[in-house]
Amino acid sequence: MKVRINLYGTLSARIPGYRQSQGIEIELPEGATVNDLLALLEISESQKAVVAIDGRIRKTSDKIPCGAYAQVLQPIHGG
Amino acid sequence: MKFIRVNMSKKNVAVEDVPQEYIGLGGRGLTSIMVNAEVAPKCDPLGPDNKLILAPGLLSGTPLVNTSRISIGAKSPLTGTIKESNAGGTVGADLGHLGITAIVIEGQAPDGELSFLRIDRNAEASLVPAQAYRGMRTYQLVKEIFEIYGESNSVLCIGPAGEYQLASASIQTSDIDGRPCRAAGRGGLGAVMGAKGLKAVIVEQGGESADALADPEAFKEANRTIVKIVKEHPMAGQVMPALGTAGLVAPVNSMGAFPSYNARKGVLEGWEKISGEAMAKLIEERGGNTTHMGCAQCIVHCSNEFVDKDGKYVTSSLEYETIWAAGGMTGIVDLDTIARIDYLCDDIGVDTMNTGVAIAVAMDSGYKEFGDKEAAVEMIEEIAKGSEFGKILGNGPAAVGKHFNNDRVPVVKGQSIAAYDPRAMLGNGVTFATSPMGADHTAGNVVGEYLEQKLDPLNAEGQVEASRNLQIATAAADCTGLCFMAYVALGSPEGGAALLKAINAKFGIQLGPDDVPALGLRVLKAEREFNKKAGFTNQDDRLPRFFYEEPLPPHNTVFTIGDEGLDSTFDF
Repeated sequence: MKVRINLYGTLSARIPGYRQSQGIEIELPEGATVNDLLALLEISESQKAVVAIDGRIRKTSDKIPCGAYAQVLQPIHGG
Repeated sequence: MKFIRVNMSKKNVAVEDVPQEYIGLGGRGLTSIMVNAEVAPKCDPLGPDNKLILAPGLLSGTPLVNTSRISIGAKSPLTGTIKESNAGGTVGADLGHLGITAIVIEGQAPDGELSFLRIDRNAEASLVPAQAYRGMRTYQLVKEIFEIYGESNSVLCIGPAGEYQLASASIQTSDIDGRPCRAAGRGGLGAVMGAKGLKAVIVEQGGESADALADPEAFKEANRTIVKIVKEHPMAGQVMPALGTAGLVAPVNSMGAFPSYNARKGVLEGWEKISGEAMAKLIEERGGNTTHMGCAQCIVHCSNEFVDKDGKYVTSSLEYETIWAAGGMTGIVDLDTIARIDYLCDDIGVDTMNTGVAIAVAMDSGYKEFGDKEAAVEMIEEIAKGSEFGKILGNGPAAVGKHFNNDRVPVVKGQSIAAYDPRAMLGNGVTFATSPMGADHTAGNVVGEYLEQKLDPLNAEGQVEASRNLQIATAAADCTGLCFMAYVALGSPEGGAALLKAINAKFGIQLGPDDVPALGLRVLKAEREFNKKAGFTNQDDRLPRFFYEEPLPPHNTVFTIGDEGLDSTFDF
């Protein structure tokens, strides 16, 4: 299945030519989880990235719905 | 360890040893405990009985990184409560270098009289007539101060809004580059300073009379550990230098909790245009600085220098809360306008948050359309002119709501909420409702708990406890002089131990891990006690009605923490 993604914080630096206005589209197997998505993007656990889909931060074990739009974010504790 | 007490009525300056009851206190702990002990709770905040207390943190003036915060305390003319607002820049560290634990401004100058308080590198303090600077904006003021006293000075000052004694007036501090762009913005403390007749505090840099470290070697070791932890922390070491706090625009919109159009929606249309990522890209393209050292001894560099299309300086630093107030709440999705608003607020000396929200309430009342860039800038200029409308705007969102007969005003105890809608981040609503400071994100921000998935922002369970714990931790943090970014990085057991080691090595004491929350509790208790004596009750610890009644898109939820829950926040 195809998943459209935007990366925020310092995460986009890992993808050459990344443009925020377009994001990227990746292919994941049906039933793939948030963890699978982060692994595919080679985002390590130490970076503490999280994924929001439909306005909610998802658990790493959550399955990604087909055709989802995912926002990959880094925690910030305040402004 | 000394106090400088300045009596503005008698025009005298006295230096005294720190009284026994205040020894071991710094920053917010000192300002709040002192205000509670020395200020009559029902006094006029703009009268001679209020006191304005400037206190660097416990570690300010030491070699420890990121310790240049200064706390400013008084009874607030905006909220009527006790108030502490802290700022970065350089003045906190400079006062520490002089061994000054606090400056206490008392009394009140005769109407129309204005002074500077000058402190030289020998810690000699004196009042200097400053009539010639009446009405001067802060950037021009600092420029003229440097022409007289030289650039090796730190300045803490007010603009025209402080002189007008407006309830949103800020106290500005100079940054590393000598620009008055750091602010103790909240609570109208600039009005208290204006009412005292004090235009600026000018502190010569390079002082060498800091309090001695009890154990310099242990302190050095603690500093080394803290530097390593801060540098390696994902937020403090990576995201902050890249985007600063503006990096929050994306996460909070993605969670549907970015109060937009005067808190009518939780996602701003076009937020991507004012995100931290967009800001960094624009600054870089124009040749500005996406990362910048704003405060003394900083190793995080979360600051930035926003420039216009010709590469000319506009403001520093464009921050998340300002982007929200001037952009999200007003529907202005244009970074140039937001940066202009930020500059004007610093220059006139008003809180960017209270002012942005006041503009949003005016727009929501039909005075101007949401998204009207020119109107927003013109409204702020009205504050500097001292026009009737400018005074209403400068007194904050509640004053604007009253003027337009609009009760849809997102404030608690008169102070605007911050950039986290209570209906989509329930714990932040608990903090806004119950903080002794009025709505205040710096008093216990729960957003990190949501982003780290420790708590569900829409589920009432655990929100009160999270807010309580963060309010206690923040009250303790605000005593140290450490900035928030470094303090968050030190949240691990290793980081906490290093911070304790630094405090113990400075004072020659043996605090343990339990003493940190105990300090936070002591501060909160003093603040709550002051508010109670001033006439505040649990009924004041509530959000405006519309947060309970009006669902917020996209989650279409309301604030669901009941009164009993709110009243249990401070069950100590």
